[in-house]
Amino acid sequence: MAHRGRHGSQSRWQAAGWVARRELMEFVRDRRTLVITLLLPMISYPILALATTLGLRTGVMEAEARLAPTTVMVVVSGADAQPFIERIEAMIAATDSSGRKDWPAETVFKDIPGTLAQEAIDSGAADLWLHAERGLIAGLDAEGTMSITVQASTVRPPTVAARRQFLALIDSFSEEVRRRRIKAAGLPATVLEPITLRVVGDQPRGELPVGEIMNTVAGGVLVLLAVLPMTGAFYPAIDAIAGEKERGTIETLLIAPCSAHEIVLGKFLAVFVITLATLAANVASIAATSAVSLKLLSTGGSPSLALATAGGITITLIVFIGLAAVGAATCLAVTTAAKSGKEAQNTLTPVILLVSALAGAALLPGMQSNRLLPAVPFVGHVLVSHAAFMAAEAEEATSIGWLLLLSLSGSVAVTWLLLRITAVMLTDEDILFRGQDSAASPLARPSPRALPTLVQGAIPPIMGLAALWYAQAFMPKELFVAIPVQQVATVLLPLAVLLWWQRVDLGQTFSLRWPGRGDAVSAGMGIAGGGLLGAGVFVIGAAALLAFRGDSLTPEAKALSARLVEMILGQPWWLSWLLIAVLPAVCEELLFRGWALAAFAGRRRTAGRVALAVLAQAFLFAVAHVLPERMPQTFVLGAVLGWVTITTGSLLPAIIGHLVHNSMPLVVLFASDCPPDMILEAGSGGLPGVDSAGIPVWALLAAAASVVAGALLVQAAARVR
Amino acid sequence: MIEVVDLVKDYRAGDGSVVRAVDGISLHVAAGETVGLLGANGAGKTTTLRVLATLLKPTSGTARVAGYDVVADPVGVRRNLGYVSATTGVPDRLTPREIFTSFGRLHGLDRDATAVRVEHLLDALDLASCADRPAGRLSSGQRQRISLGRALVHDPPALVLDEPTNALDVLGARDLLAMVGQLRAEGHAILISTHRLHEIEHRCDRFVIVHMGRIVATGTRDALVADGAGLEDAFFVAVSRRVL
Repeated sequence: MAHRGRHGSQSRWQAAGWVARRELMEFVRDRRTLVITLLLPMISYPILALATTLGLRTGVMEAEARLAPTTVMVVVSGADAQPFIERIEAMIAATDSSGRKDWPAETVFKDIPGTLAQEAIDSGAADLWLHAERGLIAGLDAEGTMSITVQASTVRPPTVAARRQFLALIDSFSEEVRRRRIKAAGLPATVLEPITLRVVGDQPRGELPVGEIMNTVAGGVLVLLAVLPMTGAFYPAIDAIAGEKERGTIETLLIAPCSAHEIVLGKFLAVFVITLATLAANVASIAATSAVSLKLLSTGGSPSLALATAGGITITLIVFIGLAAVGAATCLAVTTAAKSGKEAQNTLTPVILLVSALAGAALLPGMQSNRLLPAVPFVGHVLVSHAAFMAAEAEEATSIGWLLLLSLSGSVAVTWLLLRITAVMLTDEDILFRGQDSAASPLARPSPRALPTLVQGAIPPIMGLAALWYAQAFMPKELFVAIPVQQVATVLLPLAVLLWWQRVDLGQTFSLRWPGRGDAVSAGMGIAGGGLLGAGVFVIGAAALLAFRGDSLTPEAKALSARLVEMILGQPWWLSWLLIAVLPAVCEELLFRGWALAAFAGRRRTAGRVALAVLAQAFLFAVAHVLPERMPQTFVLGAVLGWVTITTGSLLPAIIGHLVHNSMPLVVLFASDCPPDMILEAGSGGLPGVDSAGIPVWALLAAAASVVAGALLVQAAARVR
Repeated sequence: MIEVVDLVKDYRAGDGSVVRAVDGISLHVAAGETVGLLGANGAGKTTTLRVLATLLKPTSGTARVAGYDVVADPVGVRRNLGYVSATTGVPDRLTPREIFTSFGRLHGLDRDATAVRVEHLLDALDLASCADRPAGRLSSGQRQRISLGRALVHDPPALVLDEPTNALDVLGARDLLAMVGQLRAEGHAILISTHRLHEIEHRCDRFVIVHMGRIVATGTRDALVADGAGLEDAFFVAVSRRVL
């Protein structure tokens, strides 16, 4: 056995390709997963649709049966019974089929004595009893109004169809009498028809147009499809990394002569292919099932349902390829931190729920108008595909090309970021060789740690988002009460819960130290740098918001802005400052640049991991601000303050930076000479204190200088350190 | 071929405290030599071998394989090292042939060279009869031979074996160690760790006994073992001396 090693080299893609091939070979031999992932959708949708379609069809048929023309038996009593019967039967005979709208299929009249009529309807021999008093016919030929009584049995009431159709027949009879009277009076038949109305254009209000129904249905289906990549990637992703750890095969890959990035790329390619296959199976199954369902439901005369154009469908499919990539990368990233398949399932399940919520958010009012949202995973995918899918004309579909570009760019960027995170985690010694999970009681608090774990870092912001939803129910209307309530419910409370549960080193976690070396010079430089950065980011962010959004802010953003301006003008300045600037600066910095950043950056702070940690906490910070138009600016602010915290080693400059950033609206408002009414009007443009007319160039230049000076001061403070 | 100098490896516990798993270990293994790394559980054997396999980064000190540093050029190390441990498994749903082929291609062998190498390994490791059966249906001994074959597929000059006989019965262990002996004869540098001392007592050229992260004794069997005693007695003496 001659040896001496092989020193062959191969490209990154070749190595990744072999990893992917190995994964796919394993996947296709796992029949259980294969069935769950690919075949189950092909079976489950038809079964689900069959049940619902048959139920619907039965309901429709019952409804149609209830309304179908029927035979109505009418007994007529009274002195004018016979002439009345002759008269109405003559009308029936003289009316062609077009004039018999809503009539019974057949109406049988029978003249019987009044003493027998009640028995006839109670026994079911007749549906209705009509009493024709003496003088009825004469009265009809005169000009008065004759009263006719129709009796229904209380013992055996007639069917809804019989009752409704007989009344329609009497209406027609009444119309025939009216025509006779007009003719007898020597008037033209058009005397009672002064206007013939023909409405063109949109459907009238109050009715539900088919297009609207299809829009809603398509939105729901697209949200479902947006979640499917996560379910499709679920088992393959778990098997790809957590499963390999459990089987002890991950080490064999890690000692192969390729980088962690190549391994992750290979695993991603395999999971991506499977996800695409799952998505294709689901789309095909849903499409086929829908087509069959519509055919089953259609009983002739049903409205034809508008379907998307070929261009719209193509764009939707392209968007969903990007979605599959993000879904596969998300599942891989989430499961990499797990040691076993079971642990990975426990971690991934809540993530799928969050993704569902994110995808569903795309259907909320006002989301469609946001220009940057298409780049955000899941919500953006649904937005763009919905717009493309529902585009009635080919021109409309092609006009959303830039949305597609934004969506694909966002998908590529997020996928790349997630794969980088996965590669970092894959070789993280703490994660790779982590001991078995604790066997302690689930209620037992974990042992004290220096820093929170990665997962613990993300929990308070997510809890905060959930708390924000619940807090709406009891949120006071007055902002000066609502702001502290919101900060407590969404920031301090989740943080306090996690702090109690996982005891950490407060100093390390929250960077509780002076910036730099700790002397007055470095501390001063760090704090001044943070402040300058906060001011500069506010002005530049406001300018960008006005440039990109203009007047197209959502009503929610405008309303919030107006309320903020109103509060500022209606309260003492110090109270407004405390609520808008001081409170959020302290609370949110503790949570995001303290807890979350420390957890994400971990103990072994490589440059890559720190960069990802800064971006991840900034993303959560942006999402926590809920309003889409505020997210870009809050993301940038979060990233800048994260960098400041890492660089200076202290949370204080970030708090000062946040404080200054949030104080800027107050400064602008109180420095303005505008009367309160004008300020209020400007504030409703979306940004308190910033005139919608735009920001002067000198202010932008000053802001840019402030950012540069701030960054230099922060770096100088770090060098002193 | 394998060279470790003043290796230190610290772990950080969850509470932030530092645990030193390896505390200044130095050793070397020349080509055609087998060195036994002996120690009780938690002595630092696996950590040392994981550093050599580039799975862990050293806190300080150096570790080299075929001249490649584990930190500066981990890919170079992996090209020249075969690593088998008791915890490494084999993919249940792949066959031995597929496992060898995929790792051969991952190591940069071309299609023809891989095919030749795979056939050679299947014969040499007595796996030809089950070459196309899923590994999950094979015995523990066969699976461990697959692990060894996977580590040898790129014909590395250095081998690191971490308790390779743990899951094997007497016959399986004996077969595997016989193959290790053959590999030594072919010129491989082999570093093997175990706490089943009797298995390797007469199969290693030298021994390194570690305890609590430090080397407490090193040398040939003859140098370590007193007259009439065995390697196990020498191990107890070395460890007890250290403890006292």
